[in-house]
Amino acid sequence: MFDLISSILKYIFTLIIYLFIFGVIRLIYLDIKSMNFKKSENEGYPYLKLINQRENLDFKIEETYMLKNHISVGRGNNNDIVIKDPFVSGKHAEINVVDNNFVLRDLNSKNGTFLNGEILQEGFAYLKDGDKIKFGLIDFLFVDYKA
Amino acid sequence: MLRLLNYKHPVNLLVAVDIIAFGLLCYHNSSKAFDWKTLLAGVIISVLFCITYLIIVKKGMGDEYLFLIVAMLSSLGFIMIYRLDNEAGFRQFIWLLLGISLFFLSYFAFIKIKTWSKFIYFYIGASFLLYILTLVLGTDIGGSKNWIIVGGFRFQPSEIIKVLFILFLACYFKDPDSLRFPLNKPKFLNTRLGRSLFLMAAVYMNVAFLFLQGEWGTVLLFLLVFLAEVYVFDKGKVLMLVNSAAIIICAAAGYFLVYHIKVRFDIWLNPWADISGKGYQIAQSLFAIAAGGFFGTGIGSGRPDLIPAVNTDFIFSAISEEMGIFGGMAVILLFFILAYRGFKIVMKVEDKFNKALALGIAVQIGIQTFIIIGGVTKLVPLTGITLPFISYGGSSLVTSFILLGLLQALSSGKAQRSGGVDKLDRE
Repeated sequence: MFDLISSILKYIFTLIIYLFIFGVIRLIYLDIKSMNFKKSENEGYPYLKLINQRENLDFKIEETYMLKNHISVGRGNNNDIVIKDPFVSGKHAEINVVDNNFVLRDLNSKNGTFLNGEILQEGFAYLKDGDKIKFGLIDFLFVDYKA
Repeated sequence: MLRLLNYKHPVNLLVAVDIIAFGLLCYHNSSKAFDWKTLLAGVIISVLFCITYLIIVKKGMGDEYLFLIVAMLSSLGFIMIYRLDNEAGFRQFIWLLLGISLFFLSYFAFIKIKTWSKFIYFYIGASFLLYILTLVLGTDIGGSKNWIIVGGFRFQPSEIIKVLFILFLACYFKDPDSLRFPLNKPKFLNTRLGRSLFLMAAVYMNVAFLFLQGEWGTVLLFLLVFLAEVYVFDKGKVLMLVNSAAIIICAAAGYFLVYHIKVRFDIWLNPWADISGKGYQIAQSLFAIAAGGFFGTGIGSGRPDLIPAVNTDFIFSAISEEMGIFGGMAVILLFFILAYRGFKIVMKVEDKFNKALALGIAVQIGIQTFIIIGGVTKLVPLTGITLPFISYGGSSLVTSFILLGLLQALSSGKAQRSGGVDKLDRE
């Protein structure tokens, strides 16, 4: 009886150990990825920084997104920033550069785009350093060192 | 239930491993119905690991993966030792408690005391004192005269010297001038060459003492750690080449002059020649690993007790037999990511003393693992040394946890020898 249980459990045991190793390596990978970004961050472009704990999200998302020119946000794969969150619309929002200013525009998304906790009323807004942007459940921080 | 076993929370998986293994062992060790003591040991150890991990994460004590990896390794070791020998398992439990307390102690001591790099002579002196004490008071256990017994409490001084040796090397590579000859008389002794000679003298004295005690594994470990540090921190190539040559010559001389080393080599080349005598250990180890297959016989179903010294040197063979090749590879993988984390910390810390210390610790854990796992799988000649965090043995476990505490302190960034100290020195 003991031998039977033991030989069944050994597969589960091995599986759990490898899941553990996979989990640790995943965390280390996320850790290194965020470290690499800080090094390449030399151009001084503004960027979006993820506020949520990336470990808790079920979908793939980057820690930071550089903003060089036009950028679209949404659930569809043809967006520049793809967020597979069910609360994000297929084409959710976009960020444009107008005369060196960054403009956040909502593309009639179902759940709306929030800037500093308030829904975008006129559908667009100028961004400044430290602004909090929310698409669906995901929060980003807009960082612009030049300002 | 399955949500708890998500790979995104490795600490849950750690607890699951402990619970499964100890739940199984409850039925194994006693012929009676159910062994509550075993389950209790498993629960206490899981809770202890969880609490320690949470403290490290919540208090921001630096790298949180180091302890997670080590907790898994020591769990696997503890499970195996408990399965092999109930009483040894209980003692290992006490050592684990002591090890974790010393982990925190060395963490805080390293951060609080800012002058660790000033005591180079203390590290050398303490090492040599311990060697001499071992030679005078030492007791012979298992072929090597390397134990000191004080009032029923026994320990292996060479394990403590492992910490002192790394600290000593780190001091030297921070500032070679700290190893000054006290007199100014023979001028050449105070040049760069003279200091290198002093360094080599100190290292080879260590090696000579260990040689007298018959600790071949530790000799190899110290020399390789020394070479690694020289390779990384010494700018010229001369010291590296000279030492490599010296080590190769010593090894060759040892092979022809020292009976023990020759025997080890011959067994390595062909253990089947004298399978009932000198080759018995390694042959049993190979049989055990082979018996395990891919997934092992299952915990408690194999016969690892046939291997000599299975608790200490050959624990890897026991793990391979009962948890299979996959279990063995998991252990090696865990050591890989542990050493890798160590190297990452080396790159991150600023101060040279901290860098050299972190490198010493990472390299020592890595090489020690290589020497013993390579030994029991007949990849390299077998030399008796413990597998860090896994093998049974108080001195070894406690030393490993002290080293881990130092590495944790280095990773936290709170231990920077704030440029201030350096500036004062230059003025």
